[in-house]
Amino acid sequence: MSLSLFSRARSTAAWRISIWTTVAFSICSAIAFVIMYLLVARDVQTRSDAWLTGEGDVLSDVVANTPRDSLDTRLVEEVAELASHEVIQIEDPGGQPPQSVFFILTRSGRDPIFVGPSPQKLFMNAISGMSTRPDVPVSVVIPGHELPFRVVWDNVPDGGRIYLGFSDTAGAVMMHRLVTRFLLIWCAMALLGFAISAAGAFRTLQRVERISATVDGIGTQDLGRRLPETAADDEISRLSRTFNRMLDRIQRSVKQIRIVTDSVAHDLKSPVTSIRGSLEVALLHGDSEDWRERVADAVEKLDRLSQTLNTALDLAEADAGALPLKLETLDLGALVENLSDLFQPSFAERQHTLHCHIQPGLFIDGDPSLLSRTIANLLDNEVAHLPPGRQVAVTVCQSEQYAEMILEDDGPGFPEELRTRAFERFVKGQHSSGHGLGLAFVHAIVQAHGGCVTITDSSAGGAQIRIKLPLVKVPA
Amino acid sequence: MRLLIVEDDEAIRTFLERGLAEAGFQVDAAADGLSAEALAVEGIYDALVVDLGLPDIDGLEFIARIRSQGSTAPVLILSARRSVDDRVRGLEQGGDDYLTKPFALAEVVARLRNLLRRYSTQPESSHIRVGDLDLDLVRREARRGDRLLQLTAQEFALLEYLCRNAGRVVTRTLILDHVWRMRIDPATNVVDVHIYRLRGKVDVEGVLPLIHTIRGIGYVLKPV
Repeated sequence: MSLSLFSRARSTAAWRISIWTTVAFSICSAIAFVIMYLLVARDVQTRSDAWLTGEGDVLSDVVANTPRDSLDTRLVEEVAELASHEVIQIEDPGGQPPQSVFFILTRSGRDPIFVGPSPQKLFMNAISGMSTRPDVPVSVVIPGHELPFRVVWDNVPDGGRIYLGFSDTAGAVMMHRLVTRFLLIWCAMALLGFAISAAGAFRTLQRVERISATVDGIGTQDLGRRLPETAADDEISRLSRTFNRMLDRIQRSVKQIRIVTDSVAHDLKSPVTSIRGSLEVALLHGDSEDWRERVADAVEKLDRLSQTLNTALDLAEADAGALPLKLETLDLGALVENLSDLFQPSFAERQHTLHCHIQPGLFIDGDPSLLSRTIANLLDNEVAHLPPGRQVAVTVCQSEQYAEMILEDDGPGFPEELRTRAFERFVKGQHSSGHGLGLAFVHAIVQAHGGCVTITDSSAGGAQIRIKLPLVKVPA
Repeated sequence: MRLLIVEDDEAIRTFLERGLAEAGFQVDAAADGLSAEALAVEGIYDALVVDLGLPDIDGLEFIARIRSQGSTAPVLILSARRSVDDRVRGLEQGGDDYLTKPFALAEVVARLRNLLRRYSTQPESSHIRVGDLDLDLVRREARRGDRLLQLTAQEFALLEYLCRNAGRVVTRTLILDHVWRMRIDPATNVVDVHIYRLRGKVDVEGVLPLIHTIRGIGYVLKPV
C-alpha cells in the first residue's frame, strides 16, 4: 500500500520538481561551501606561515648572536624548544613532547642540532632535498606524519643553515571539524528543502489534478460544466480560464453543428418528399404527357437541394479555415458591375430600379469565384425579398484603407429581431423561402478575405449592407 | 470521338457511359487508375473523364503519369469536393476542366465538347448560321431573315453561345460560365430572365421559335 503510494508519488511531476529543486539547491550550497573552505584554509595557512617566518627570524638571530663556545649548542636547543612549546600551548595544553614542530641547525664542520619528534633521520632526509629561496615557507612531506610540514630556512654565519618546520595540526583539526559539521547541516538542509518544495509542488499540482478530473468528467452531453475560476492570476488559474474559454468555443460549435444538422435534416425532408411524390406520379402515369413535366420538376428541386448542401459545406469549410482562397488582384468595381449587368433584367422584371455608382480602380486581393458568389447572393436576396417597384442602389467606393461595396434599398428593411443574428446560419425571415445560409455565407467569405460586413438601415428606410475589403497598394 | 471514363463508383460510371454514348461518343470505362493508365497510354482517346477519388492512385497522380508517358488528350476532372483545390484549378488553366459532384449530364457533354473543340484546329469562321438566324461575329450583328435584331452586347454574347452549341442542350451554369465568365449558382432565375428577353427579340410572333426550354436541364437553340 505504502509502496504503491510511493511509486505513484514517484511518477508525479511534483516529485520530479522537488528532486530537481533539491539537487540544484544541494549543488549550489556545496559549491558555496567549497569556496568558503578554500578561503579559510588559505587564511589558516597564512597565519601559521606568519608564525613560522617570525619564529625562524628569531632563531636565526639567536644563532647568529650566540658566541661560539661550548654552550652555544645547548642555548640554541633551549630557545628552539621554547619556541616549539609556544605551539603546544595552542595545540595540546597537556604538555606532551611537541610532534608538530622541528628545528634543525646545520653547521659546517660540526654536528647538526635537531629539536623535534624522532626519528631525526627522516627530517634530515626531507630537508636535504629542499632547494627553495630562504625565508619562504614551503610544504614538505615527512614519512609517518599525516600532514605535510611547512618548512622555512635561512642562512646563518659560518656557512650553516637553520630549518624550522611546523605542521599545523590545530588548523587541520579545525578544518576537519568544519567539513563534518557542514556535511551534517548540508544533509539536514537538503532534506528540509526537499520536504518544503515537495509540499509546495504537490499542493500546486493538486489543483492541476482537480482540473484534469473535472475536464475528464465533461462529456459531449454536458458541455455546460465549467472549472471553478479563482481571482488569482497565476498559471493554474489562467489554465482554468483557458480551459473554460475553450469549452465555451466547443459548446458554441457543437450547438452550431446541431443547428446545422437539424436544419439540413428538416430542410431535406420537404423537398425529398415532394421529389419522391413527383417521381411516383410520373411512374404511375408513365403514358401521359404529364410525366415529363414532373421529372423536370424533380430535377429542378434536386438542383436547389444540392445548392443548399454545397453552401452548407462551403460554410463548414470556411469556419474550419479550410476554404482554399485562390487570390487574384482584381478590380472590385468591375466585378460588381459585371454582376449588376447580369442581375439588371431580373430587377427590371420586378419593376425595381437598380442604380450603380461604381468607382473604378479599387483593387483588392480576392478569390473572384467566391466573391462573385458572395455578391450574387446579396443581389439574389434583393430580387427575391423586395416588394415590387423599389429602388436599389449599389455603390463601390473607397473608405480609408478599404474598398467598400454598399447595397441599399427602400424596402421594408431587416426585421429588428433578425438584424443581430442575420449572419448566423439558418436564421431567416418568416416569409423567406431561402435556405437561411446566404448571409452566413457572405459573412464567412468576407471574413476569410480580411474584410467585414455590416447591416444597417438605409437612408431611404430600407436595408443597407456594407462590405469592406482591404485595398491593395497598386503601383501608380 | 473516343472517350475513356475513369471512375470507381459504379452508379456514376454506368450513368456516364450510357449518357455519353447517347450523346454520340464512343465510350470505354475503367474502374481504377492502373488499368486506366494501361488504356490511356495507347493514345487512342480524344478525351478523358477522370474521377479524383480513385481506389488505387490519386486522380491527379494518374493524370501526371499519363502526361509523363506522352498522353496529351484533354482531361475533364470529376471531384466530390465542393471547393476544388488549387492543384485542380491549376490544371484547368493548363487546358483541362473540372466539375464537382453532383453534376448534370448536359454539363459533362458540353464541357467535353468544349475541351475537344479547344484542342481541334478548326478555323474560326466569321459567321454562324442556324436556320434563318445569321450571326456576324466580326460586326457583332444578328439577323433573323432580313430583320436586324437590336441586341445589347450581352444579349449578342448569349445568342452567340447558344448558336455555337446549336442543337445541344446548355445548362444555366454553362451559360453563366461562358457568357459572364462566372462560376456562380444564383438562387433566383437570372439566366431565365436573360433568355426570356433574348427570346422576345429573336423569336418574335409569326416566325418559327429557335430557343427552346428543356425543363429541369436548360436551353437549346435549334430550328424545329
